[in-house]
Amino acid sequence: MSLQVIENATCTFCGCVCDDIELHHDEFRIHKAHHACVLGTAWFLNHTAEKKYPVALVDGREATLDEAIEAAATYLHEADMPLVYGMSNTTCEAQKECVALADQLGGLLDSHTSL
Amino acid sequence: MGGKVTCTLGEVKQRADFIIYWGGNPAECHPRHFTKYTIMQKSKFLPRGRKDRTMVLVDIRETKSAKAADIFLRIRPGKDFELITILRALIKGHPVGDDEIAETGLSREVIEDLISRMKGAKFGCLFFGMGLSMTRGKHMNSAALLYLTAEMNAFTKFVAMPMRGHGNVTGADVIMRWQTGFPFGISFNRGYPRYNPGEFSTVDVLVRGDCDAAFIIGADPGATMPQPAIDHLARIPTIVLDPHVTHTSRLARVHITTAPQVIAAPGTAYRMDELPMPLKPALKSPYPTDEEVVRRINEAIAKKPFWLPDGNQPQIVATK
Ligand code: SF4
Repeated sequence: MSLQVIENATCTFCGCVCDDIELHHDEFRIHKAHHACVLGTAWFLNHTAEKKYPVALVDGREATLDEAIEAAATYLHEADMPLVYGMSNTTCEAQKECVALADQLGGLLDSHTSL
Repeated sequence: MGGKVTCTLGEVKQRADFIIYWGGNPAECHPRHFTKYTIMQKSKFLPRGRKDRTMVLVDIRETKSAKAADIFLRIRPGKDFELITILRALIKGHPVGDDEIAETGLSREVIEDLISRMKGAKFGCLFFGMGLSMTRGKHMNSAALLYLTAEMNAFTKFVAMPMRGHGNVTGADVIMRWQTGFPFGISFNRGYPRYNPGEFSTVDVLVRGDCDAAFIIGADPGATMPQPAIDHLARIPTIVLDPHVTHTSRLARVHITTAPQVIAAPGTAYRMDELPMPLKPALKSPYPTDEEVVRRINEAIAKKPFWLPDGNQPQIVATK
């Protein structure tokens, strides 16, 4: 099967955020990452589109996405002081939703920067 | 870091003829920084590329980056603030005693040579890493360095830029500043954002046991935080969104697997100079994206009564 090529893809493994990577993939796994450095290449080749893990785990048991979302919402809603933390390895669009989450919950919001 | 004198990496690439890396190891942590943005590039203003640029590395040990440097300054651990303060005094012509200089681990000649090079540069750029901002003095070190940069502009063009870490940490700062006015360490518990690192920063909150639920996304505090903080995460209901099984997800009540950003989730990420870059995902993941999951959790919470005792969200009342 011939590989598909994506030109000028972005790598976010480090703060350089190189946007000139040429990715060769077969929709399942990335086989080549041209122009990326050792760290970036290892990172791209490490990820697959396989279904390795269950969609969600609630209390250690497999659950559907809907159940997990409801469980998460219930835990967060019941808490007096919930904490929203992280946001390093995610997109700005998801980060904006996280700010809205903390705002709606009246909770704490923090990122890796404060360490 | 409001009021920081900075620029984009594109400007550094085109113009910076004097580059200092302070407390960072780009050769190993930001491998393409040299070749793509700083010392190796040729440009209209620096046609000879590497030959037209001078690079200085300031660190406490000789890392791989030292090989690429023209000048390597090895300073005593924990003396960054002292050295910056001495530089600030000397560039303005104030006297500094020999004892103070000896304390930093450098000689007076070396420091004076550095200052004359800094003043002689056409466009200087100071990159500072975790070796400066995460050691003794912490944000006071970064602040001193930013002052030094600002003061250098009395002599020549000088800018500073933090060497931000992996992933989209810069984006998190930018998004929180845009949405709340503060970059991190925020509390909404009065209904409006308040900023107080030390009180609202995660390590402190967890070690004191102040929160009674945690929502962790795109991070693995279970691998990096001190043990008392991890113990608290295991005690309270913790919800983790991550493409992989992590230290944190093992102790979480709810783990939702999401599509890895960049590889399979579209969106935007910020470069270290705060430029937004679009992502081009290559693969189609069987999992939902972070954005979708958080939005759906938000919607589920919005259906429940608001957290104020009467269950109603505060309204803006129009007055006549
Ligand atoms: S390719 Fe290398 S230098 Fe560029 S963003 Fe990825 S890890 Fe960083």
